[in-house]
Amino acid sequence: MPRRVAIIATGQTKHAARRLDVNIAELITEAVTRALQDADLTMRDIDAVLLGNMEPFEGFLFPELWAVEGWGGYMKPSVKFNTGGTVGTTTAIAAYYYVASGIYDTVMAIGFQKQSEGHTQTAITTVGDPIWERSVMAGAIGNFAVMATTYMHESGVTEEQAAKVAVKARRNACLNEYAHLQMPDITVEDVLKSEMLAYPVKRLDMCPQSDGAVAVIFAEESKAQRLAPRPAWIKAVATAHEQQYMGDSPKRLAEMRSLIAASRRAYQAAGITNPRRELDVAEIYEVASFAELAMYENLGFCERGEGGKLIDAGVTELTGELPVNPSGGVLSTNPIGATALIRVAEAALQIMGKAGRRQVEGARTALATGYGGNAWTDILILSREKP
Amino acid sequence: MSEWIVRQKIRIPFQYTTGRALTRFLTGLAECRIWATRCAECARVYVPPRSFCGRCWREITEWRELPAEGEVMSYTVRPADPPLILGLIRLDGADTALVHRLGEVEPEELERVVRVRAVWREDRTGSILDIAYFAPVR
Amino acid sequence: MDRHPHPESREAVSREETTLRVPFLLDVEYRYAVGQYGRRFFTELRDHARLMGVRCPECERVYVPPRPVCGICYHELHEWVEVGPEGTIVGWTVVRIPFIDPMTGEQRPVPYGFAIIRLDGAATSLYHFLDETDERKIRVGQRVRAVFREKREGSLRDILHFRLLEE
Ligand SMILES: [Zn+2]
Ligand SMILES: [Zn+2]
Repeated sequence: MPRRVAIIATGQTKHAARRLDVNIAELITEAVTRALQDADLTMRDIDAVLLGNMEPFEGFLFPELWAVEGWGGYMKPSVKFNTGGTVGTTTAIAAYYYVASGIYDTVMAIGFQKQSEGHTQTAITTVGDPIWERSVMAGAIGNFAVMATTYMHESGVTEEQAAKVAVKARRNACLNEYAHLQMPDITVEDVLKSEMLAYPVKRLDMCPQSDGAVAVIFAEESKAQRLAPRPAWIKAVATAHEQQYMGDSPKRLAEMRSLIAASRRAYQAAGITNPRRELDVAEIYEVASFAELAMYENLGFCERGEGGKLIDAGVTELTGELPVNPSGGVLSTNPIGATALIRVAEAALQIMGKAGRRQVEGARTALATGYGGNAWTDILILSREKP
Repeated sequence: MSEWIVRQKIRIPFQYTTGRALTRFLTGLAECRIWATRCAECARVYVPPRSFCGRCWREITEWRELPAEGEVMSYTVRPADPPLILGLIRLDGADTALVHRLGEVEPEELERVVRVRAVWREDRTGSILDIAYFAPVR
Repeated sequence: MDRHPHPESREAVSREETTLRVPFLLDVEYRYAVGQYGRRFFTELRDHARLMGVRCPECERVYVPPRPVCGICYHELHEWVEVGPEGTIVGWTVVRIPFIDPMTGEQRPVPYGFAIIRLDGAATSLYHFLDETDERKIRVGQRVRAVFREKREGSLRDILHFRLLEE
């Protein structure tokens, strides 16, 4: 039987377009130091450290080596993860396994990316198959846009409905001191009028590129109870992988097979039958406004084709029935290697009651997702109750 | 069966931020000065300097200027014309070693070289290459 | 693998805020093996302007790109069938944001039409270019046809683009 595991502390940097005051190691140190302070621990209390990062974006092979001074890995058991958009949740799930296995009691998961140092649009093309995809791929935005039109066609969502998601994200971000894009006055009009990057995706529909790091501390039951007044217990984790090529998934965003499979597995493990009613808050990996609407449908927050109606009805607003991304989400902050772990950290903050002005009152069950290239999905369900 | 190979090129530009400690180090090089940092707990002197001691998990705030002279710990020669000689150089007073070029020396003489000093470029810009190479102290 | 400073990097070190920024150019060459399934596909494409997929005997899906195994049934694939050259648009866009093509290090010229295309007879789709850049003229479900280059070398670029068909 796996041991019970909880998140007991989190730490984030102030995420920004360019953190030119620090190098990679120094950036990571900021997040790690905050996480240790949050639990009143020192690096000596950490049994193992797991690091998440997407190497092509900084062109640093072995970031775990170059930045080791900054992330506390010196002579500790550690592994680096690099799984694309899911890297942060993969790192979190691995930390969960490390502790649940009984081998380590206290494990830190770290995610970071310093996107200002590279060219994300260019580097991301290298995720494509060199023989079948790279020569025709269109960067992160173009690749996303071709899926968005499929989803619009299948579900009937409009550009206005997607724009509402972008507005919600940037307004919520104003309540999050760590968020990168904070736009208190943004309107649907602003989104619709922003520069067309690749139809239907406009500049404000898309996530930014950020520099940032996050650290999350996982502990076994007795330590968790001793160190955290209200630990965020891991109730379920699940992952699912798609097929090989980008064109393999028949309906793309309209039928995200890995998200459906992973979420249903996690719901079942957590005993959730009606996610919209039984989840109190969700932190999901929405790289673009359209993706969030598609994810509502694929996560079972609503019926097929109803994603647009859910945002129209305000269900996912901070004050709604199921707030989605009160942190501002990926649309406001996207240091890729950290992004999915930020979802986990934010979900944990909600359960721990430490989310400040973005707190969802009385949150007891939270969902966090990671998502990579429409191909693979990670899910975590956190709870105030012990599993 | 003959091979069928697709040749591809990946070409990506990067801009690396040097951060707190390395900025002072590089700025110092432009002035022919070598700056190191010293951890107050373990007393290690780091060059290139860093702002954080990963062993002690504490910030480093103490700066120390090192002489531009030290010992060759190890070397390697890449055959070329002229040969490229790389050395691992521990500056006097440092606990870590720098990788740099060795010059004014023939590969066959390396065996006897112990002490080296930095030879500075005329046009310094704040780069590790402001030191043109390290030459034997004879 | 060679990661070296820009030739002009010693001049280009710039001071921004409190720290320096150092430019590097990653410039690497790779040699990818096309593999046996790719060899057959690209030979047919180059020599006969014909597009081929492989059919799974269990689920009957026809896969393009062809591959040795059906990921869903985990069954070996041996039955080659012709697909296309016509197909249907599953998703599309017109890329207007310029980005650096990592294969050349240069900006890819924009705008260009880009689509996910399900070739007739295939269960999966290919990404490729469209001959249209007017957003008002493209839609999901539209029929398209591959336009092959005169001089083909055995690569996906032997298809120049997909042409929108009149309806
Ligand atoms: Zn120390
Ligand atoms: Zn099959």
